[in-house]
Amino acid sequence: MSPPRLTGALRSFSSVCKKEDIAEDEYNLKAKRLKRQERFAKEGLTWQKIVQFFTQHLDKKDQQAAQQELKGLLHSAKQIVGADHGQDTIESAGVFLFETFLGRERLGAEETRAVRHMFGPFSATAAEACLASVSRLVTSVGEAEAFVRTQNAGRYGLGDASSTAFGRNIAFSHDGYILDCHEPPPWLDVPDEDAGDLGF
Amino acid sequence: MACAKVPLDEQHVTEIMGPMGREQTIPALHPDRKEERCFLPYKPPPEDNSSAQIEEYLEQAQFISEDLDWLLSLPHDKFWCQVVFDESLQRCLDSYLRYAPRTLDTAQPVSSPAVADMERCVHRSVFMVFLRMATHKESKENFITPEVFGEIIYNNFLFDIPKMMDLCVLFGKGNAQLLHKMIENIFTQQPCYYGDLNETVPSILQVLGTVLERCGLQSEGATASEPLKLGSHDRPTSMTMPQKDLVDLIVYMCDTCTTLHAFLDIFPEACETFHSHGVLSRLTSFYEMVVPDLEKALRKRNFDKSVQEDLWSRLCHSRKRMVEIAHLLLQHTCLQPILEGAENMQSSVEDLLQNFTNFIQEKRFLADYDEQFPLADDISLLQQVSPHLDETRTSYLLQAVESAWDSVGKKRGRPPVPSAGAAAGAS
Repeated sequence: MSPPRLTGALRSFSSVCKKEDIAEDEYNLKAKRLKRQERFAKEGLTWQKIVQFFTQHLDKKDQQAAQQELKGLLHSAKQIVGADHGQDTIESAGVFLFETFLGRERLGAEETRAVRHMFGPFSATAAEACLASVSRLVTSVGEAEAFVRTQNAGRYGLGDASSTAFGRNIAFSHDGYILDCHEPPPWLDVPDEDAGDLGF
Repeated sequence: MACAKVPLDEQHVTEIMGPMGREQTIPALHPDRKEERCFLPYKPPPEDNSSAQIEEYLEQAQFISEDLDWLLSLPHDKFWCQVVFDESLQRCLDSYLRYAPRTLDTAQPVSSPAVADMERCVHRSVFMVFLRMATHKESKENFITPEVFGEIIYNNFLFDIPKMMDLCVLFGKGNAQLLHKMIENIFTQQPCYYGDLNETVPSILQVLGTVLERCGLQSEGATASEPLKLGSHDRPTSMTMPQKDLVDLIVYMCDTCTTLHAFLDIFPEACETFHSHGVLSRLTSFYEMVVPDLEKALRKRNFDKSVQEDLWSRLCHSRKRMVEIAHLLLQHTCLQPILEGAENMQSSVEDLLQNFTNFIQEKRFLADYDEQFPLADDISLLQQVSPHLDETRTSYLLQAVESAWDSVGKKRGRPPVPSAGAAAGAS
């Protein structure tokens, strides 16, 4: 709970603010995850493009193995998002997992956070299986990372957002106010004459 | 994107819209151009170290950070559509101002480096969003007509007085110059904020009254000079209230003093409004009553040592901030016009002397004020700019300062300044 604040009192008692109850969570984490998945599915790389990429870049003899890996990847994706979702959601989850595990050797903290961030709590076994599938797929075709980068260059319609973001060149300080007190508590003062009375 | 060299509020865009995919020409600033981003409200880091809570905090904060960075990357017209028409964004920003931990808060933030990094990211992004919202002209091509900008920020509550105070206390320490420009621009483009400030000051005085009341030093609605109501002796005082209430009271006072000081320091143009409500005399009498009372409670009551020391530091900090607030008010309403040789300089001289005279009855405050801002220095300045100053009056003031030091038992760190009359006699 946040401590009592002057501005809290002013919001309650003065008539200069918009009155609304912001404790009411219209958007929660679950709703936000769904929103993110929907947006992800609409932009950049798609499952069809991944399938097409491996079909085009592999010899016929290797294509069957790649198809199996992709099928396995989708199966694991289904376990992660939940079986009650439609094919579109599962495929978009497959795309996300493919991107997230691309070039990764193990399921580390960063990857775990990214997957949890997208889907919420998930099965680690299914994630490990995804990682293994992606690793085997990428070993068979070298240019997979470049392909993903090209596909996602315009994700969210921003291009290289960080280079154009407002405030990127503005110096910002993280300094905060600290307690400004140089007066020791009076009960710590032991007067010299009292110290002299001590029986050392 | 909207066309250039025309203010955003006058631009129109043609976009393919609706289920039929028809082309439509609409104002560039239009609710249909907002995206459904669903900004999440901010929640502060968890106070315990449970990994589940930390994970949840990190996930939520990551969403906020990404959404705000996305917002900052939008072109000018899209940014303003989102800012004006997306209520979830305003709730997100407002929740940050309300709940973001201040560096002075008692609860220490969780020590996880991931949490600290995330806090830093969100902190910066929130500031940049407010900075962009306070800027009506981003470039030659991207701008809003100043009057319209003033209406937009005011009518949509993008800024209000408590929000500006929160901004000052959260970001003011290292970004004072930028914040000053922001708030100055907000007040310049929308003078109605001065009216709001005028309406807010009585609520601030009410907060001081509440603290006095909780300490049992003033009954509700009564002024210091009125007799206490019958039965008021049963009210809890700082010596008898539950310890948790005393902690809350001192934390509240500390936050109040820090916030007011940060706001007035960053936006001194507000001093005039505060001064016109008699804040100075209310603040000094508040100081005189509350400080000795709370000091006594902290000395005499039984506390956990660390809590006791923390509360002492907060009280000490609050004292310093109150003295500085008083000085800011005097500096910007009296001293500044005197130094600038303003037309009404003589009335400023008189106002300053009158304020100093009023300090005399608040001995503890006077001694503490003089320690930080020696009255002798200001009186010497007055003697320079106003050669016909009543010497008896200034001598009386300086003697009163000496007497205040003696009566509160303070020892000067430097020798007392001789009174004006004595100095004149010596020369």
